Amino acid sequence: MDRHRRHRVGKLMNLRRFSLIAVPYVWLLGLFLVPFLIVFKISLSDIALSIPPYTPTLELSEGWAGFRDFLSQLDFENFEFLATDDLYWKSYLSSVQIALISTLICLAIGFPIAYGMANAPREWQPTLMLLVILPFWTSFLIRVYSLIGILSQEGMLNQFLMWIGLINAPLTILNTNIAVYIGIVYTYVPFMILPIYATLTKLDGSLLEAAEDLGCSRTEAFWRITVPLSKAGIIAGCFLVFIPALGEFVIPSLLGGSETLMIGKVLYEEFFANRDWPVAGAVAVILLLILIIPIVLYQRNEQKMMDADT
Amino acid sequence: MPETVFAPWNDPAEKPLIQFRNVTKRFGSFTAIDDLSIDIFEKEFFALLGPSGCGKTTMMRMLAGFETPTSGTIMLDGQDISPIPPNKRSVNMMFQSYALFPHLTVYDNIAFGLKRDKLPKDQIDARVKEMLRLVQIEKFGQRKPEQISGGQRQRVALARSLAKAPKLLLLDEPLSALDKKLRQDTQFELMDIQEKTGTTFVVVTHDQEEAMTVASRVAVMDHGRLKQVDTPDRIYEAPNSTYVADFIGDVNIIAGHATTQGETVSIAWADGQPPIIGTPSKPMDDGKVSFAIRPEKVAISAEKPTDRNNMVQGKVLDIAYLGNLSTYHVQLPSGIVIKAQTANSRRRASRPFTWEDEVWLSWTDTAGIVLES
Repeated sequence: MDRHRRHRVGKLMNLRRFSLIAVPYVWLLGLFLVPFLIVFKISLSDIALSIPPYTPTLELSEGWAGFRDFLSQLDFENFEFLATDDLYWKSYLSSVQIALISTLICLAIGFPIAYGMANAPREWQPTLMLLVILPFWTSFLIRVYSLIGILSQEGMLNQFLMWIGLINAPLTILNTNIAVYIGIVYTYVPFMILPIYATLTKLDGSLLEAAEDLGCSRTEAFWRITVPLSKAGIIAGCFLVFIPALGEFVIPSLLGGSETLMIGKVLYEEFFANRDWPVAGAVAVILLLILIIPIVLYQRNEQKMMDADT
Repeated sequence: MPETVFAPWNDPAEKPLIQFRNVTKRFGSFTAIDDLSIDIFEKEFFALLGPSGCGKTTMMRMLAGFETPTSGTIMLDGQDISPIPPNKRSVNMMFQSYALFPHLTVYDNIAFGLKRDKLPKDQIDARVKEMLRLVQIEKFGQRKPEQISGGQRQRVALARSLAKAPKLLLLDEPLSALDKKLRQDTQFELMDIQEKTGTTFVVVTHDQEEAMTVASRVAVMDHGRLKQVDTPDRIYEAPNSTYVADFIGDVNIIAGHATTQGETVSIAWADGQPPIIGTPSKPMDDGKVSFAIRPEKVAISAEKPTDRNNMVQGKVLDIAYLGNLSTYHVQLPSGIVIKAQTANSRRRASRPFTWEDEVWLSWTDTAGIVLES
């Protein structure tokens, strides 16, 4: 009797533990894996003039035979197409390049800002932090549109530069890659600042004094102590900029020109301009595969940071 | 032949290693160091002792080069060190938090300063190994600071600061993070290492026991000033002020009025009590004084002693049993409480006194210190 009850209690405990673990898995399954499988299925389909604009669609009423028929119609044609048309791999490559350069610019701007914030008087730090995240209180789209106003031929930037006499004729910035870089750096630099700031505030000032005491100059102490100890923040910031910048669509389509090749823009055009969902699906699947590498690396860095904290 | 006592401060021919000359340091309106002059000699183990905020840490940071004096000069080996940045001084510091570099191994932490001197690799390696041996942590060279215990970290910090063989080693509360037992063992080790390396040590501490144990001389500080600089036994037995007497160890301080009677003074102190006979260390004027006496120099007895000039009767108010010692708080009829301490030298002896017992306290003419107040 007693053993029987204990057995039941044990079972109940197991069930509870299982349901607790199940929550994140159900979340991932429902919100990541299922949508991904749908997109993947679309990428294996053919374009069709129908609603939805692809074929085949799964008819459950036809039973097992219908499912086999459905499977036989799927193929990798779209992926082969992506490989034959150089537009796609050029876009991927150009996206990686733009994201990479933007990340480096963000690092070059973000690190000094984070460093300045961390070394500012304590009572100023919350205010400075607020200033960094303040732009997020405005819609992203509005901010990008206002950049158009600033960067255009008659925009404020050109007017200002001409007013101070630096240039005689307005520069063409809007609708070039430069505008894309400005847009991406402007949008994502807070993502670089915040993790670096977080690691720098944790840095014990006596470490720098110890380094000086042992014979380092201020600059040397910075490179030997500050930089290595903020490495985790730098890596986190780089991924937080690189990953979204790689698939960025709004900034290149609003600020970029015809020569701006970014995969997010191509994806958008395939979906909405061409209505070629299967090709767009294939583009999305490849983009995801490219992104998985930095995402996994980012997760490992986060894990390391957490281990170092405990 | 007796060994010569190490006391360079008594030898006028000896040249001090460190000289503070009228050094003042202000932070805004706060004066951390107030017109302070002091000489510290080579191979000394010098302790700066005082409560927090007394300026001892500021003195150390000025020696390390992290602060510059507002006025006055600090000389190291006859050279004014104010314009020399910390990284160019032959002074190293062991930080209170140890400040070990978390991203480097124990070995690389110790090698850090040597590498900055661009020494050849084999020389660095030999020196690091020597240091690891000196502080007995050979086994942990390849570990990161987070992977070793607090006591081992303390050793790494010491080894790192000694690696460059500085003329002067500064230790900021070196043992405060260790538990009591480990702290006592480490005190003796620290003295051993100081003797072995022959380095001049300046240690900052708020722990008087630590200062008394390790130091050749102790400087008691308060509010940016030196109250007394002397050997530990002189500081304890011959404090020059009630502040020092009160800061170091336990003490009874009795206020009274002194009248000189030849070699001794007679101190009138409480109504209905005979005057205290004391021996001042230097001739003094009649007037208000403080009489300071350590509890262990006050004898406690049930019968009235016959051989003493100073005796009072009172009631046992409190007993603190410390194992090796017992401290009795005895209240006199006037309300004053005097502490008396006896060594519990016999095991399982029944306690001679208990609460509310009438007892006699007595002391000799030279047991206490007469201080002008």
